[in-house]
Amino acid sequence: MASNITAAPDHRPTFQEAAGELVSKVRAGSSASRLWLMIAAALALVGLVGVIGRIIDGYSDRSAWGYYAAMVSFLLSTAAAAPMVSIAPTLARASWVRPVTRVSQLFASVGVVTALMHIPLMFALPPLVEEGVRRRSIWFGAGAYTPHVWGTIAIFGLTFLGLALLWASSIPDLRAIAESGEGRRQRWAARLAMGFIGTDTQWKALRMRIGVLGSFYFLFLIFTHLVFSADFAMALVAGWKDAIFPMYHAMTGLQSGLASTIIAAYFIRRYGHLERYIELDQFWAMSKLLFATSLLWFYFFFSAFIVFWYGRSGPDQATNDLLVSGPFRWAFFATFLMSFVIPLFTLMFNPVRHSIRGPVIVSFIILGGMLLDRIRIYVAAWSTTGINDRYLREIPATRWPDIFDLMVILGTFGAAALAFILATRLIPAVSLWEIQYSRLLTRPARFIRGHALIIGKPD
Amino acid sequence: MQQHRELSEQQINVQLLNGTLATPRWWKWAVLGLLIIVLAGFSTFGFMINKGLGVTGLNRPVFWGTLITTFVFWVGISHAGIMISAILRLTQAEWRRPVTRAAELLTVFSLITALSFPVIHAGRPWRIIYWILPYDFSRGIWPNVRSPLVWDPAAIGTYLTGSILFLYVALLPDLGNLRDRTVGWRNRLYSLLSLGWRGNSRQWRMQTTAGILLSALMLPIFVSVHSIVSWDFAVTPSVEGWHSTIFAPYFVIGAVHSGVSAVVTMMALMRWLWKWDNFIRPEHFDALARLLIVVGTAWFAFTLIELLYSFYTLEAQELAFRDMQIFQWPWAFLFIVFLITGFFIPVPAWLFKRVRNSIPWMFWTSISVNIGMWLERFLIIVPALSRKQPFVYTWGSYHPSLTEMMMIVWSLAFVGMNMLLFARFFPLIPLFEQKEAQAFSSRIQIGRASVPAVLREQEQE
Amino acid sequence: MAIKSILGLYESPDAGANALDGLHAAGIEPHQTEVLTGTPYPEGAFGEHVPQHRLFRFPAFGAMFGFTLALLYTAGTQLAWPLVTGGKPILAVPAMLIILYEFTMLNAVIFTVVGIIFESRLPDFFSKKAYDRRISEGLIGIAVACDEQKVSEVEAVLKRAGALEIKTA
Repeated sequence: MASNITAAPDHRPTFQEAAGELVSKVRAGSSASRLWLMIAAALALVGLVGVIGRIIDGYSDRSAWGYYAAMVSFLLSTAAAAPMVSIAPTLARASWVRPVTRVSQLFASVGVVTALMHIPLMFALPPLVEEGVRRRSIWFGAGAYTPHVWGTIAIFGLTFLGLALLWASSIPDLRAIAESGEGRRQRWAARLAMGFIGTDTQWKALRMRIGVLGSFYFLFLIFTHLVFSADFAMALVAGWKDAIFPMYHAMTGLQSGLASTIIAAYFIRRYGHLERYIELDQFWAMSKLLFATSLLWFYFFFSAFIVFWYGRSGPDQATNDLLVSGPFRWAFFATFLMSFVIPLFTLMFNPVRHSIRGPVIVSFIILGGMLLDRIRIYVAAWSTTGINDRYLREIPATRWPDIFDLMVILGTFGAAALAFILATRLIPAVSLWEIQYSRLLTRPARFIRGHALIIGKPD
Repeated sequence: MQQHRELSEQQINVQLLNGTLATPRWWKWAVLGLLIIVLAGFSTFGFMINKGLGVTGLNRPVFWGTLITTFVFWVGISHAGIMISAILRLTQAEWRRPVTRAAELLTVFSLITALSFPVIHAGRPWRIIYWILPYDFSRGIWPNVRSPLVWDPAAIGTYLTGSILFLYVALLPDLGNLRDRTVGWRNRLYSLLSLGWRGNSRQWRMQTTAGILLSALMLPIFVSVHSIVSWDFAVTPSVEGWHSTIFAPYFVIGAVHSGVSAVVTMMALMRWLWKWDNFIRPEHFDALARLLIVVGTAWFAFTLIELLYSFYTLEAQELAFRDMQIFQWPWAFLFIVFLITGFFIPVPAWLFKRVRNSIPWMFWTSISVNIGMWLERFLIIVPALSRKQPFVYTWGSYHPSLTEMMMIVWSLAFVGMNMLLFARFFPLIPLFEQKEAQAFSSRIQIGRASVPAVLREQEQE
Repeated sequence: MAIKSILGLYESPDAGANALDGLHAAGIEPHQTEVLTGTPYPEGAFGEHVPQHRLFRFPAFGAMFGFTLALLYTAGTQLAWPLVTGGKPILAVPAMLIILYEFTMLNAVIFTVVGIIFESRLPDFFSKKAYDRRISEGLIGIAVACDEQKVSEVEAVLKRAGALEIKTA
């Protein structure tokens, strides 16, 4: 049968073209990226002022920290989840993902912002034992500050693992940058490349390191979502017992991580002029996953909702009142529309999925939905009282953001963008070695009279 | 990974139709043996109808026992088909090809078997019609759509209908092939069933599109089915251990664990019985075992989270229930067997390539999973009911009677017999998928290495 | 004038593609030709006419039909016998949603299957089109529907491309 297959002309960039183009982008940067960098830095500064204001405002009123907690959770559910876009398909040996693996891994740099933002929040979390009374938690009889310790270990550990994964997968590209000339950036790149020259052993070690770090990152991500969602949301609300909630938190994070990657890939492609590397195929594949995760958003939400709605016990009703039909119902309905209804009724059409702008617009909408979702959960949870009661006896009123909250929200976006753009100044936003590897393993071909692509699947 | 030799289309026809165009010697004896058990099962059912549910071990407060456990078990097994057929089709996993039809078939027969159990359990089976169909126009009595017991038939009915249609559509090209290879009444039967299939471009295009479109439609149904079954339990606030929000995905992932394991069992049997060594190869077992490591570990994580959150509230009744379920005889014994057979034996074993590539090992470990998964359902349903509840005001215990055990054996024989009967008339491995796999497989040369490759269609610019 | 169906059988896909090229060059319209195979080849592999279809409309219509049916069933039956159970409203939307969903999906699947059969132009029991059972054993069939007058010309083209056998129906 193989005789039906013949070689077809290959119009993809050659090894040399790709190396020259991608490395030079890092060296030169672009005027657009400089402008975005300045805007991001300004916003981050505004956020810093907001954080300082929040700290000066004090910790006596726990409800004041709701929006802040929501933003930390937002980063965990977007930037921290984004590297999964590269990890899962790579483990499944999908070839489409290679041009966007780096884009998703670059989000690990935002972990630094998440970790820094976590520090003041840790002080706002009440201890497990107050005035001799132990509150409900997943830590049961452990020490009073166990959630603080494990929350910190989880977030810092995840940040470390993310950066390690970014570094490990960038080593061959760092070598290429180091060899591209003289200068401070090249010296840094040479140091980080750790003597990589591309021997067979080094390549094997590199692939194994990426596989192991990716697997650990996934496990740690789930652990972090479990710990954070349990300690910083559920345990603060009397009677809220929701075993699916950590999974909802993690799964919706994957949806938004995917959306973040799509948006970043779009900007990098457009302003970095990388159309020959990040193509329609990548957006098409990611938009299919985005569609699937949007369906899962509803599934995970409804799995909890129907149990509470049907059960109708005191704690059941209070939980639904607080999170769905209560003070944040506006946020819930907006989330429902933005995270599920709109993605469902747009991405179900192939022309939308099979486009570049379609998935990008839907991704922006999904990120808006995620922001509102985290606000409805965290602000509501942090606003409640009677933490030791059997169930929530009083549903708190809607809490609107104050000026510090608004500054923190803006600053979170700014700081995240700043970390991401700075990372692209050192590491190519499209993985040079993955592009080259992909070129080795895929070949355009003719199948009798038709067009085809041969994809190598090494053992 | 490509451990097979290339065959011509004619050879593929001959080898894969060896159990359809001819009757293997063992087939009659196997069917006869299973038929005896099936008839014994029907007789037991007749006995239950005649004598009433008193012949079962069911009594206050345990009104759901092994019949409902086995219902949930077979719904779980039915998740094999769409998991293998739809997900792997959408992700273009090449190794799915020899497995899809048998997995879809397992879905159909296990769903039919699952649906029989609530009917058997009802004691007066005809009364089920009152619950689910809007039939009584004269008296104005209608089904209660707010009840999960009406949701169940809606979900399982949808899944069963969809699975049968999915199976039939994907069978069309092979029916055409069978028509070409037969004479007499069989030729007339296949001509009728193949609807005049000729294999033109339009028909093949529809086959390809249908595979993707039906997969995409069946996937959400697949997820909903076991979720809805789980809500039979989870929406009940009065039974300890049931009212948990994690039940829906927990049941689904458990179903995938048991369903895919059942496919492994079936593949081993297919390879041994029909000698399809050239089609069902160690690489397929290897790929399924890798998938099962992920699924099994995810299922175990859900089990742990479920337990974690049952302790979370530290409520006395919940803790007492878990204490009974995990530490008290005889539940403790069953709980240990469940964990060992469902996870601790198979999943660590699959980490070794030698086990993944050994068909006897895969056969026995996959059976181990399903022993564990049956026990899981039993441990969810029965211990929880045997405790005093707000609406039953009494304690109790439960011992399955011989009639109930007979129905479990009947269900295994019923599914097995139907699979064998199907295999006598239709190919268990899709012929056209095997041919396509060969047409689309290739190798690329990288330096001195020859790497296996697959061909993907590309749109013309 | 009677339309005849002529079938040329080829051993290799390349020969089949050449035959199709030859037919097009001889003025046979693409919609008059068919490529018959026992294997699903990639679209356009023979340079054949790729037919358009409207399959995607079927599930959409089926879904709408199913949703409407389920709405009548769930809302209609509850309103017809308004008995409060479990403290839930008569029109309990979350509970109805489950039935609505299942009926919607069920009908989407049924209509899709109807669509697949219709778009495959099946059932096709009575049309007298040339066919050979060896196609499902690996031969490539190039079928042409043409006027009686053109039969000899078509047969010549098919033969020139290396047909193993030519059948007419």
